[in-house]
Amino acid sequence: MRHTIQRLTLQRVNSLGITLALLAGLLLTGCAGDKSILDPAGQAARDVVMIWWVMLGFGTVVLVLVTAFWLYTFKRKEVTRTPADERKIARRWIIGGGIVLPVASITALLAFGVPTGQRLLPLPLADPPEVIEVIGHQWWWEVRYPGAEGGEVVTANQLIMPAGEPVDFHVTGADVIHAFWVPRLGGKIDMVPGRVNKIRLEADEPAVFGAQCAEFCGAQHAQMQLYVEAVERDDYETWLAARQTEQLAALAVNDQQHDSAREAFMTHCASCHRVAGLSSGREGPDLSDLGSRTSLGAGIMAMEEGAVTRWLQHHQDLKPGNKMPPHDDIETATLESLGAWLETLTP
Amino acid sequence: MTTISREATPEGDNIKGPHQLHSDLHEIWGNPRGLQALTIVNHTTLGLRFMVTGMVFFLIGGLLAMLVRTQLALPDQDFMSPDIYNQVTTMHGTVMMFLFAIPMLEGLAIYMIPKMIGARDLVCPRLTSLGYWCYLFGGIILSFSLVLEMAPDSGWFMYTPLSSSEYSPGLGSDFWLLGITFVEISALSAGVELVVSILRTRTQGMALHKMPLFAWYILAMALMIVVGFPPLILGSILLELERAVGMPFFEVAGGGDPILWQHLFWLFGHPEVYIIFLPAAGIVSTLIPVFAGRPIVGYGWVVFAIAVTGFISFGLWVHHMFTVGIPQLAQAFFSAASMLVAVPTAIQVFVWLATLWLGKPKMKLPMLWIMGFLIIFVCGGLTGVMLALVPFNWQVHDTHFVVAHMHYVLVGGMFFPLIAGLYYWLPLFSGRMPSETLGKWGFWLTFLGFNGTFLIMHWTGLLGMPRRVYSYETGMGWDIFNLLSSMSSFIMSAGIAMVLLDFALHFRFGKPAKHNPWNADTLEWANNMPPSAYNFVSLPNVETRHPLWDNPDLPRTMAEGQHSLAVATHGRREMWGTDPITGKVREIIHLPGNSWWPLFAAMALAVVCISLLTRLYPLAGIAVIIAGLFLLRWSWENGSHPKAAPDAEVAPGDPPLHSRTMDGPGLWAMSITLIANGSFFLSYLFGWFYLWTVSPEWRMPETSPLSLVGLILAGVVLAAGAAILEKLVRGLRQGKDAGLAVGMYSISALGFVQVAITLWVLLSADLAVTETAHDAIIMVGLAYALLHGGLGAVLVLLQGLRVGYGYVGAHAPFEPAVVAQWWRYNLVTFWILVGALAVLPRVIGS
Amino acid sequence: MATLMQRLHLTHPLHFVIGLTLWCIWFVAVYGGHAVACSVAPPAPEQGVFTLVSAMLLAVSIAAIALLAALTVGCCRMAKRQVGRLRFNASVSAGLYLFSTLGVVFAAMPIIGIPPCL
Repeated sequence: MRHTIQRLTLQRVNSLGITLALLAGLLLTGCAGDKSILDPAGQAARDVVMIWWVMLGFGTVVLVLVTAFWLYTFKRKEVTRTPADERKIARRWIIGGGIVLPVASITALLAFGVPTGQRLLPLPLADPPEVIEVIGHQWWWEVRYPGAEGGEVVTANQLIMPAGEPVDFHVTGADVIHAFWVPRLGGKIDMVPGRVNKIRLEADEPAVFGAQCAEFCGAQHAQMQLYVEAVERDDYETWLAARQTEQLAALAVNDQQHDSAREAFMTHCASCHRVAGLSSGREGPDLSDLGSRTSLGAGIMAMEEGAVTRWLQHHQDLKPGNKMPPHDDIETATLESLGAWLETLTP
Repeated sequence: MTTISREATPEGDNIKGPHQLHSDLHEIWGNPRGLQALTIVNHTTLGLRFMVTGMVFFLIGGLLAMLVRTQLALPDQDFMSPDIYNQVTTMHGTVMMFLFAIPMLEGLAIYMIPKMIGARDLVCPRLTSLGYWCYLFGGIILSFSLVLEMAPDSGWFMYTPLSSSEYSPGLGSDFWLLGITFVEISALSAGVELVVSILRTRTQGMALHKMPLFAWYILAMALMIVVGFPPLILGSILLELERAVGMPFFEVAGGGDPILWQHLFWLFGHPEVYIIFLPAAGIVSTLIPVFAGRPIVGYGWVVFAIAVTGFISFGLWVHHMFTVGIPQLAQAFFSAASMLVAVPTAIQVFVWLATLWLGKPKMKLPMLWIMGFLIIFVCGGLTGVMLALVPFNWQVHDTHFVVAHMHYVLVGGMFFPLIAGLYYWLPLFSGRMPSETLGKWGFWLTFLGFNGTFLIMHWTGLLGMPRRVYSYETGMGWDIFNLLSSMSSFIMSAGIAMVLLDFALHFRFGKPAKHNPWNADTLEWANNMPPSAYNFVSLPNVETRHPLWDNPDLPRTMAEGQHSLAVATHGRREMWGTDPITGKVREIIHLPGNSWWPLFAAMALAVVCISLLTRLYPLAGIAVIIAGLFLLRWSWENGSHPKAAPDAEVAPGDPPLHSRTMDGPGLWAMSITLIANGSFFLSYLFGWFYLWTVSPEWRMPETSPLSLVGLILAGVVLAAGAAILEKLVRGLRQGKDAGLAVGMYSISALGFVQVAITLWVLLSADLAVTETAHDAIIMVGLAYALLHGGLGAVLVLLQGLRVGYGYVGAHAPFEPAVVAQWWRYNLVTFWILVGALAVLPRVIGS
Repeated sequence: MATLMQRLHLTHPLHFVIGLTLWCIWFVAVYGGHAVACSVAPPAPEQGVFTLVSAMLLAVSIAAIALLAALTVGCCRMAKRQVGRLRFNASVSAGLYLFSTLGVVFAAMPIIGIPPCL
């Protein structure tokens, strides 16, 4: 849907020229990007957008009026006044514009703004919300579901959350400071090593949202992205159930045609990556359900046939500086078989 | 001591004509040429050097900005690798903030302040020179990292742990930490002497409430530098220690906390924004009355607004940290305080508006830039209030919205007024007028280009584009806006190029300016254009806020030597030392002449900086000692030293020389320096208590490793030394100097004993400084005490020697009083340290 | 009270900075005290705003408001009695004390509405 709108806009650029494009840009792409604050998909984000439009309107009025008065002083005719009159006029300007205007504005702003912030706080609820832990690494996301029935589920670089109910995100950083931000759902929160920060987000209905590391975290800060998928509660439960260790382990080892790939995995990958049932490396992202994810490399390329192999071969060009060593020393055939096997890990 | 007795009379010395007076003064004040030009300490020359150097760094910073905009013009560009891009953005911010904005405005203040307050130079001329060299060398070292492709790349805010040795193993962070600390010496020295100059060297009669508003703004800026920079210096020292030695101040595993860095950084970083804005607002408040042709309305309101801004800006730092997970209530305090700062800003905007309203404003070239300032700055202020609102901040924090806001505030709030001011004062610098045509083109291109770049960027941010990304993929709806921003940024740079071209060309082709070309009211326009090194032939009695409006004849009578201190045959550089509140004359300040010592000291410090960078620690140690020796040698040439004022004779009726009183500006300079030192010390205490209470994995031993007996003994010895010093100073105040030398030597001995005991306590504590943050921070505290104790002992020792040489004594009692302040400060901080580090942990326990 | 105000030399320009310094001290005390209280003895979130921490923060703020308000009144009275420089000093000081008082009121407002330590 988003891409259709995108393409439409681009066509207009070609046909109608810059002016229309700008307008179209503002109206269409403006609100349609999957990281746009202006296209909220949850109440917290919606409140903020509301506040933004009000502040924008008010701010524009103030700016225009102040500028107009300033410019007018250069045009108006000279008037002679007594010093007492001058003092009175000056005092009116200063007290009216310098004190009453800002004090009234900021009081109103605080009165409306502070309650809005409460929505993002993990206040105690009668029905404790779902908890999802997100841990930032240079430059990927570890995601844990401690509340899953049957035991904690661990995955990476994809986040599935139940829609239509509040979800508490407990976030921290494994190395440097990152920040967790799903623009369409609400504000961001820093992922600080040694601390666990909490933020409560809620998605109105099932959809996919873009997320992004928002705190500068080094060379690949730009490419530390994530897709957050909100699904119905039942689908969420099913999804979690399919990722219990036993299921994943069974998936990883139960066919014979990928034996050589598994062997290569154990030689080259296992010390850093976990595939349930095979290895328990924690340096890099968990790969147990890699094939089922929508993207690779922390949200930077779409998962499609052959994508894993391409990533394994060219990851230092696709995401220069990432912490996985280059695989020049591994034969192409081996990488291809590894890629093919990893793509089958679809619970 | 009446006013009249000091005004020259035709029968007096000043029977000489103006030309003779000029050459007499020029003999003493004039600048040498050739290699000797490196020794110049004159504020006019150094102010210009600061500004020209600042402009060079501005061009470097601007070039880096253009690289950034080129990279972001289109999606998925690989014009620069991520590595290089991060170096470029980090250096763009660093260069613009530390090497352009602050030094540029300091340079303007250094140039302008003495001229505006009717003085002949700043009060510590050699310090101006030291400041300049530190700035130049620090700036060169920092910029050189770009050439080596080793520039810092963890952002201009250097957040740990990204900037720590584990995640930034190269030299980049070290370049930043050492280079910036070096440059900050410059900012601090300018801060100290601007405060003292404004408070103590205004011309006769210029009471505090009569001084030009610009001086109020600079006073506030300078005080803010004095209080605001030390937290960052402390932070930089701690981080460099962590990187070089492995002391884990910011490392969670060792009991440190990365958030401590953020606190120290923003404790500096937020006031810094206002340190940049206030002088610029000072320019606006100076220009608007001149072009409106009437005094500013509400002088008192402006003073009020300046004071409020100066203080409140220290209570806002956490608004840069709303997303780090601070309790909601604490965020609300900072949110409210951040919004409060809108009040003084709005007051100033409406004072300016009312002044224009009641005057007859003329739209000359400088006013065009002021208009640009107004529109951009009000816009930046409004988005600032929006950002102070926590929920909105959580959304747009670290997006391009903030980039846009920040540039509106900094470019609008600093660059536009700066250019207005430079256009306004150009005739003073050069004696020539700029070109209106080129100037107008420059303005409109800059103004439109700026808004094209950054107004759009608000929108890009709202569409979710995060800051500090080296690239972005297409399809997010950001492409067209980034392209427009990039195109506009090139228009803006064309505008700025035009302005700089206008500046450069006018020195050669500008029309000669007539005297006081804008019909201004302040004293700087009583100078020659361009000014003489001594500024004024004679120093007038000024009891009005608008000396040149109330007495248009003043420049002529000043130049003819009809006012005070028009004598120069004594060979001293003299000006008034006046009462800080009333402006009554208290003494004659004699200033030191040109000197090599500031340059030598700065060169030694540069060696320290480079050897720390290259990890040649023994060399760094030697260079520190050499720098210290140069500085002490510099201080030797004071008082009645042959190179200072061996002869104390003054004209009949004139007050004494400051070195022959107990009330010289040096006392004030020491007090202000100690305020900076105190700010450093408080930041240290903050760090200690912060880590103790908040750090996630803080480990404190069951019993304090420090020997309480040893520390108390050291404290008692220190107190004994301080008490004897106080007694000696009291004696000097009464004109008694019997046993002064012996007294000084024995105090020095006590000082060294205290240092020895403290050192023993430190060594016997057996601290594992690389293991725990607890031990590391205790180490830093004791090192602070040792340094202060050692310096105190050395200073007193030198005083003893100076008594022997006859430079200090009942006839010249000034210096011991200055040193006594250091001892007082040291005594207080030492006992606080004992309490905080050794007593409290025993009382409260871990 | 009146003699006390006399002793304070309310026409001295030092009063330009005292009020705001008190504001800063109050601010640091409240911010720091709040941080320490929340790390040492955080109240249960269910208590809402009716906690000992909030009460103490409020008490400190009210004390600061009272002190600053008294100084505001003192400076105002002094300003009316003086002319020229002394009047200028006293009235700017009065304004700054007033701002500091209201600054405390404004920044302390959230204590009433927001539960601490969340």
